[in-house]
Amino acid sequence: MHHKLSRILAASVLGSALLSGATTASADATGAMVSNPCAGCHGIEGASQGQAPVIAGLSQMYLASTMKAYRDGQRYATIMDRIAKGYTDAQIDAMSGHFANIGWPTNNQTVDADQAAKGQKLHTSSGCAGCHGATGVSMMPNAPRLAGQYAGFLEQQMHDYKDAAKAIPPGAMVMRSMLAAMSDEDIAALAAFYASQK
Amino acid sequence: MAFNRREFVKLTGATAGLATLGLPLVSRAKGSVSIVVIGGGYGGATAAKYCRAYMPDAKVTLIEKNKYYYSCPFSNEVLGGESKIEDVRFGYDGIASHGIDVVIDEVTGVDPAAKSVATKGGKNVSYDYLVVSPGVSFKNNIEGYDEAAMEKMPHAWKAGPQTTLLRKQLEEMEDGGVVMLVAPPNPFRCPPGPYERASQIAHYLKHHKPKSKLIIMDSKDKFSKQGLFMEGWKANYDGIIEWRKAADDGKVVGVDANEGILRTEFEEHKPAVANVIPAQTAGALASAIGLTNESGWCPVDQRTFESSIIKDVYVIGDSCIAGKMPKSGYAANSQGKVAAAAIAAKVGGYDMPDPSYVNTCYSLITPDWGISVAAVYQYTPEGIVGVKGAGGLSPMGAPESTRKAEAMYARSWFRNITTDLFG
Repeated sequence: MHHKLSRILAASVLGSALLSGATTASADATGAMVSNPCAGCHGIEGASQGQAPVIAGLSQMYLASTMKAYRDGQRYATIMDRIAKGYTDAQIDAMSGHFANIGWPTNNQTVDADQAAKGQKLHTSSGCAGCHGATGVSMMPNAPRLAGQYAGFLEQQMHDYKDAAKAIPPGAMVMRSMLAAMSDEDIAALAAFYASQK
Repeated sequence: MAFNRREFVKLTGATAGLATLGLPLVSRAKGSVSIVVIGGGYGGATAAKYCRAYMPDAKVTLIEKNKYYYSCPFSNEVLGGESKIEDVRFGYDGIASHGIDVVIDEVTGVDPAAKSVATKGGKNVSYDYLVVSPGVSFKNNIEGYDEAAMEKMPHAWKAGPQTTLLRKQLEEMEDGGVVMLVAPPNPFRCPPGPYERASQIAHYLKHHKPKSKLIIMDSKDKFSKQGLFMEGWKANYDGIIEWRKAADDGKVVGVDANEGILRTEFEEHKPAVANVIPAQTAGALASAIGLTNESGWCPVDQRTFESSIIKDVYVIGDSCIAGKMPKSGYAANSQGKVAAAAIAAKVGGYDMPDPSYVNTCYSLITPDWGISVAAVYQYTPEGIVGVKGAGGLSPMGAPESTRKAEAMYARSWFRNITTDLFG
């Protein structure tokens, strides 16, 4: 509830900033300016159309803590560790606020229905729903939405989270222990389930 | 494979529109402003779209010579056979759908005093602000490499018919034939490009012409992402790719296109296929307008991309001197957004927020082996510099899973950035 309210507040601050003239607007615009170059890989306004993750509509807390974890070597990445090092805390907070204020985009991925059904069973039986919600839409600001996220990204991330040689944030250690029991096929099925959700 | 990763349906609700990009929108009272963008590639298409987004009431005109744009990024994959030329071809309907006036015509002159652009088709378009993104043009650093020679020894460094021509030559080559790729001296468009191309052509040779090989004839003694390319070649194309650096007589100084001969200082070579990439300078239009300095490139205020030579004219992309940023599609895309924000700030009478620039260049060594170089840039009084400690290369010796993930994200990048440009 608090989270929802803070988003509404943020939205109204954004709205008034747009109306109130140069100084406020420019201050607000920093989030937009610093977020502009992200589109090349993450899509216009964070609505990726490739396998790079959608970053629109995730909570500010998750986005900011993820960027800082990438930056500080606490989360393995193919490229975001190198990019995140280019930003200060203030810039990360501004861009996270920017993307958190955009709605989650609707997308359609073609997934194998049997795979998705198998993934749904695993999602429920393995306890993933506890943090990520019954359909992969999390109500907790520190657990990202998985529903509608790209399967390729999710699958790759789960493999990274499972791999003990790769850094993951302390809060994600529970993921590592849950994924330890999963086969490659299980992980692919889970990814298919989340990708199939709207 | 549980599902085909490439077979996802196009997003339906995610055409995020352009109205929510977050900068203060310039008010209707300023609605009479006219912005003309010349060149509809990575820089110009971005600038036109973002000018329109920041100034919804401005008149934005994009003037582009060709009806279709062929992307240089991912055109190497067309040469390698993993993509078709249609996959890198984009029209301008998407841009027009945002209310931008798209004019397919050739610019014949710009009058900075009258603030007007003349076209071959007889149009005169007046502007308050002009954005110029003309890419590169070729220098005559290789004797005999003229326009006729380009039809026999394609450069394919501007994608389109040249790409198709080189691909056809590779397909028609007999197994056992030698391909020579002539790599240009610095600075040039897309520093890792020639070496990704070598990888892609080698991918084709390995699977279709296994007795053939490719020799890179280089004007340089080192190149972008060298360690990563060398590692990838050793793993995937051992004995297929040879790199001959300048110090080992790799520098091609002349051609006889009719005889199919490449000449270095000491030798003559007669490859079955020659891909000759000449030295480069700012797009011809930039020098015609008078935007270049003695270096052949265009000096700009690196905070706004306004020309240091002509007021109210902005130069972005390969033609401009952008500090430490490379000449790449991603860099041009970043610069287009900054130039649009700078113009919007000027029109709206507010201070432009601090600009932010990113560059990421992916290269595909095989369809499952991607590598990257990335950087985040900031503006300083000395110009655009990389943020210290940020950016850099993919790690050496990374597991195959990492290379495969980077290949996936490379394709994702192409889809997303071309949507940013043309969607």
